[in-house]
Amino acid sequence: MNPEFENALALSRRQFFGRAATGVGIAALASLLQQDGLAAIPQASAGMPPLPGLPHFKPTAKRVVVLWQGGAPSHVDLFDHKPGLMARRGEQIPDSIRAKGRLSSMTAGQKNYPVLPPIKPFQAYGKSGTMLSTMLPHIGSIVDEICLVKSMHTEAVNHAPGVTFFLTGSQIPGRPSLGAWATYGLGSMSNDLPSYCVMTSTDQGKTCGQLFYDYYWGSGFLPSKYQGVRFRGEGDPVLYLANPDGMSRTLRRGVLDDLAALNKRHSTDYGDPEIETRITQYELAYRMQTSVPDLLDISKEPAAVLEMYGPDVHRNGSFARHCLLTRRLIERGVRFVQLMHGGWDQHSNLDTQLELQCRDTDQPSAALVMDLKQRGLLDDTIVLWGGEFGRTPFVQGDLSKPAGHGRDHLGSAYSMWVAGGGFKGGTIYGETDDYCYNVAKDPVHIHDLQATILHALGIDHTRLTYRYQGRDFRLTDVYGNVVKPLLA
Amino acid sequence: MLTGRLHRLWILTCLVAFCLCQGMAMGQKATLQKVDFTREVLPVLKAHCFQCHSGAQQQGGLSLGSRALILKGGASGTSVVPGNGSKSPLVIRALGQGGKARMPLGFAPLPEAQIALLRTWIDQGAIWPDPKSAQKHWAYIKPVRTKLPKVVHPGWVRNPVDAFVLARLERAGLTPSAEADRVTLLRRVTLDLTGLPPTPREVDAFLADKSAKAYATVVDRLLASPHYGERMALPWLDAARYADSNGFQQDGDTYQYLWRDWVIHAYNSNMPFDQFTIQQLAGDLLPNATDDQKIATGFNRCHLLNGEGGAIAEEQRNVILFDRVDVTATTWLGATLACAQCHDHKYDPLTQRDYYSMMAFFNNVPESGTPPGGGQYRIADPWIVATADDDKMKLKAFEDRITAAQTAAHAYLDAHSAELQTAQVAWETSALKTVATVPKLDGWTAVGPFAAASFDAAYDTDFGPEKSLDLTATYDAGKLRWRSHPEWIDGKVYQLDGENSAFYLTRTIYAARPQPLALSFGSDDAIKVWLNGKQIVADKASRAAAPDQDKVTVTLNTGANVLLVKIVNGGGIGGFTFKAQEQGLPGPILAILQTAPAARTEAAAQQIRDYYLTNFPPAELKEPRDRALAAMKERDAYRLTLPRVMVMSDAMPRKTHILDRGNYEMPRDEVKADTPVSLASLPPGAPHNRLGLAQWLISPDNPLTARVQVNRLWQTFFGTGLVKTSENLGTQSEPPTHPELLDWLAVEFRESGWDVKKLIRLLVTSATYRQSSKVTPALRLRDPENKLLARSARFRLSSLSLRDVALASSGLLDPRLGGKPVYPYQPKGIWDGLAITKERDFTYPQSQGADLFRRSLYTFWRRTVAPSNMFDTSVRNTCKVRLTVTSTPLHALTTLNDVTWVEAGRALAEHVMKEAGPRPDARLTEAFRRVCARRPAPDELLILRHSLNRALAVYRADPKAAEAFLKSGESPRDAALDPVEHAAYASVCLALYNLDEALTRE
Repeated sequence: MNPEFENALALSRRQFFGRAATGVGIAALASLLQQDGLAAIPQASAGMPPLPGLPHFKPTAKRVVVLWQGGAPSHVDLFDHKPGLMARRGEQIPDSIRAKGRLSSMTAGQKNYPVLPPIKPFQAYGKSGTMLSTMLPHIGSIVDEICLVKSMHTEAVNHAPGVTFFLTGSQIPGRPSLGAWATYGLGSMSNDLPSYCVMTSTDQGKTCGQLFYDYYWGSGFLPSKYQGVRFRGEGDPVLYLANPDGMSRTLRRGVLDDLAALNKRHSTDYGDPEIETRITQYELAYRMQTSVPDLLDISKEPAAVLEMYGPDVHRNGSFARHCLLTRRLIERGVRFVQLMHGGWDQHSNLDTQLELQCRDTDQPSAALVMDLKQRGLLDDTIVLWGGEFGRTPFVQGDLSKPAGHGRDHLGSAYSMWVAGGGFKGGTIYGETDDYCYNVAKDPVHIHDLQATILHALGIDHTRLTYRYQGRDFRLTDVYGNVVKPLLA
Repeated sequence: MLTGRLHRLWILTCLVAFCLCQGMAMGQKATLQKVDFTREVLPVLKAHCFQCHSGAQQQGGLSLGSRALILKGGASGTSVVPGNGSKSPLVIRALGQGGKARMPLGFAPLPEAQIALLRTWIDQGAIWPDPKSAQKHWAYIKPVRTKLPKVVHPGWVRNPVDAFVLARLERAGLTPSAEADRVTLLRRVTLDLTGLPPTPREVDAFLADKSAKAYATVVDRLLASPHYGERMALPWLDAARYADSNGFQQDGDTYQYLWRDWVIHAYNSNMPFDQFTIQQLAGDLLPNATDDQKIATGFNRCHLLNGEGGAIAEEQRNVILFDRVDVTATTWLGATLACAQCHDHKYDPLTQRDYYSMMAFFNNVPESGTPPGGGQYRIADPWIVATADDDKMKLKAFEDRITAAQTAAHAYLDAHSAELQTAQVAWETSALKTVATVPKLDGWTAVGPFAAASFDAAYDTDFGPEKSLDLTATYDAGKLRWRSHPEWIDGKVYQLDGENSAFYLTRTIYAARPQPLALSFGSDDAIKVWLNGKQIVADKASRAAAPDQDKVTVTLNTGANVLLVKIVNGGGIGGFTFKAQEQGLPGPILAILQTAPAARTEAAAQQIRDYYLTNFPPAELKEPRDRALAAMKERDAYRLTLPRVMVMSDAMPRKTHILDRGNYEMPRDEVKADTPVSLASLPPGAPHNRLGLAQWLISPDNPLTARVQVNRLWQTFFGTGLVKTSENLGTQSEPPTHPELLDWLAVEFRESGWDVKKLIRLLVTSATYRQSSKVTPALRLRDPENKLLARSARFRLSSLSLRDVALASSGLLDPRLGGKPVYPYQPKGIWDGLAITKERDFTYPQSQGADLFRRSLYTFWRRTVAPSNMFDTSVRNTCKVRLTVTSTPLHALTTLNDVTWVEAGRALAEHVMKEAGPRPDARLTEAFRRVCARRPAPDELLILRHSLNRALAVYRADPKAAEAFLKSGESPRDAALDPVEHAAYASVCLALYNLDEALTRE
């Protein structure tokens, strides 16, 4: 039997008892069900209880924040420190190194592959002495909280397939996203807000249009209630949230009461539990009309907190604002927050754009980690930072003309970092070769990191499956190994 | 009131009863009769055990893949003691006894009945028949028509469907529900067959028709409605992953709506399903295929197309091929063939070889894998220009004009050849005199085509000549070299072949002194030009070549000046044209000129004559020539406005290989186009191409096609298929609830000549269909999923239908059929946020007027961002034949607050205020009827009155709010209506659309 259906059945069982047990109060009924072992379902599930048997084991994290850096940040310039590269400026990358990686068709035809060393120096940060680019001073300041994986690799070489691969486990659109799987497995913890929230932003210069498609937070073949809800930068923050002009909240309340009365009457006639569900969902919609604006209203945040996120926090729609809102979402019990930030695709503007991009993201990313930590939320919240692949150590374009050159996509090796939620802070995992080109030690495929994140959530990635078209699908396809050394 | 303890006991009793019923409803037996391993035990093992204990997965060293392996057991010994189920670890572990973790680990425990089944099977000796002699899975055996079962109460049976259903109910000791009341039934069948609600007039007519045939008459009327085709097209579009754009970064628009219209028309004309199959899979391969038959093959061109900058064409082409295999297998065969892309199917008799043999059917399409070109539309080969009759007439008018002008020119040439000859001689003499003072151009030398993954790549990539121009160089492993083209003369358009590719053309211009020269170019599509290594033109255009598209004046150096031109073609045929003002004669012409007329070859004489007549025609010749050119230009521009619909073609035969783990870079054995070995083979004489494939699908020997289709039609009209997993009838499917009925219907469908309307009529006129959907708690506990069909299904309408219902009942609906997609209301920022390319404008082009109110079917479906007010839909990226219906607060917000519904509420209010007289009860009743079909009961009317009065009070106190509320939407409002009253009614009407009943087909 499909676990989703089993769930629905469990709900309708309870609804049935609810109706049959006339005169028994809700609390009494709940306690009865509790005794029967039927209702290990938290009240605040908003129709999304966890699957039976989940979590599979004791989790170290309850929530996930994905700080998606779309366009692919250059691991060569930011995270993967190879002092030897400085002396190799202009040298050809040996064929033996390049042979292993697949390139996009933008440079696959290039004849020369001269090394372009990191454009800015690295320095040691934190107690751990982790070497990071000087363009990332704030992430440097929290480096002892993060677990830096330098040996990520993926098969994708183009953006949309690459992002889709990381976030859904397949390069082809249509599979459920990580957040949908997590919500499907673990259910919702919030009564007034969607359990899976998404916000999108781009770099201020809008240099490159990395687009964010619905399927990056889609539910694929899972029921669509598990898809991420995108908070929008203009108009209603959640689609159709506001009452129409001329419909006051008081009048709407009255209308909803009338609707409920009519629906209840109809329910008695038809006996379909879906009608009760509908009444509940309309009530939740009504509550969201206040809970969402309340979430977005940051006027009561102390100045010190705002300052921590940097000046950009005052700009609506900025990555910094979204980082702050993420903390507010996490505080309110939201299970999964996914920030999608673009602008890292520096094929021909590395020299100017990379630093601006770091300025937009470095401080707010670090602030979110610190803010969560100060509130005791980091312990059971995973914060993941990274993009769909890395960038080539060789130059795309003319090495001697910084104004027009950059780096192409590279899937064979790159870096991501994870903080909180049971991940081991202050550590570095994995190594690349002398050119940051291939993984030299402890490779972590993106399926491995997916498996590890699910593991921290108490989920065995091989057992969180959904039967679709005759096959039990899972996020990690038939791959993925939990990388235990990443976990504390 | 019961005491707590007693009450708890009562609940437990219910639970036990419930579990027992569940077991029975699942068709599983815990009795001691002989267990059928293949049919009963193997599915349990496969569903719950094989994931960790079969094939390569051998947790604890245990595989359950065969009898020998089961007896051998794992690390802790044998798993089965034949003859003693209770002592067998398989049973003990499934029960969670013996102090070890309960199996299956991490999943819900097996139902009691299934454990009992395993125990009985082992008790009976754990017989595991040799798979070769084992009975085939039911779906792989041809369906046969069984005799109608005997029933105790034949009076209920209206047609054969009911006999099967009732026999099953009687066996389970259940009785069918009463027939739904007539209004509910009419609303149900109208929604099911047209996707629209019945009008009050239709309800009244039905209620007034007391004849026994009243219902049959209604069904016939609905099947004949043009809206029937629109409604039936919807699930087919989901299966075909139909959308109006390509997906991915560029997400160019397509013209596939012509295929969508073909589908609607096919349903409306009741095209037999075998024809429907042949035309969509292989219409292009039919003898003398018509445009319509070619358009039908658009089914296999509704795939995603990746135009992203770095996309690797061959990789994308293989993704498309995989998609075609999957969509065909799911849509026609209900088979999960996709599982065999990387390895032999784990459960069904489908091998990896079968997969690639099927893929070979689709591997002969002349396509690159990525869509070329920029701009709004991105169409990938092959495609046809779809011309309607008036388009054809217009095109013919252009051709007539061109022919007339050319005839006139020829006539002039014939009549005046002597004068022209004299004039040419005079021109030659004067031209020779001025040669020295004007720039002189050599002939063209060209190289190409340089193939690229995409139009963008072809434009951006330097294939060599841009960096260093060397006419002795060769390219692409010696395949491309520079060739001179003395025959190319200025002012004429020349053709360049190759899609997504670049040509380089060069020539030298000699000047006696530094001097300006005006150059003019035309190109199909994009062009870049360098003079002496400096770029002077870059125009990333997508167009047909015509003179003077790009003009530039350059300054020539004394001596030789090198001109380099790059022409980049996206789709179709490429071309270029060039002219220089004030130029001297091109080198080849000059050479001829300097040759004495008598010594010239015939070709040379013709060339110089052409040159003279092209560049210096007398007015009488120039006039008809200009007319011809102008008509050609108009014709070409007009052709560009015609829809280009992507179709199938086998024009590029390719070899197909098994791909290791589905990786296009790792080809293994070559395979030929063929059908899966374990299913029936191609019919005798059928070709090994898509036409043969289509014939195989509909052949009487194919066990799957008919079953899959009737099952999906059943799903359409009963909510759930007879096989619930309608996308999969293989061994991992849910067993059919009524296997004999499924087979009977499959045979009936095929033998009726695949008559779709006839089958649907059979379904919707059955007593089974006509039951009420009301359910008692007892029946719901007994059969929660309604597998036994003791009631009708009750389910929320699709969001596409919800919008249609709002538009239709409010009178806003524009019922026109087919045509270009439309752009109804959408909040700001939905599309714009996904605008990456400057090649086109991604501002949402909201429709005006009637187009705002077309059926949802016609809403432009942008693949990267679906219409914002459509929920629980297929995302139209991959084949989808079964949708899930969910209930979330976001849906509530949509139908409460989206302008679509708010405006519909206002329009419905206006309608009833004007048409239903002055009495509030009459107005509210009319509104209720238009939405829910039935009349409200008195107590319901009371609530509506209360709601109206509250709104009246609110708006009387705040008339500005009333005005604001009435401003929603672009349809005009009758200003004569009192705004306060109108707003109050509008608020009630909006509420009506949000009634559970209104959202539901019951």
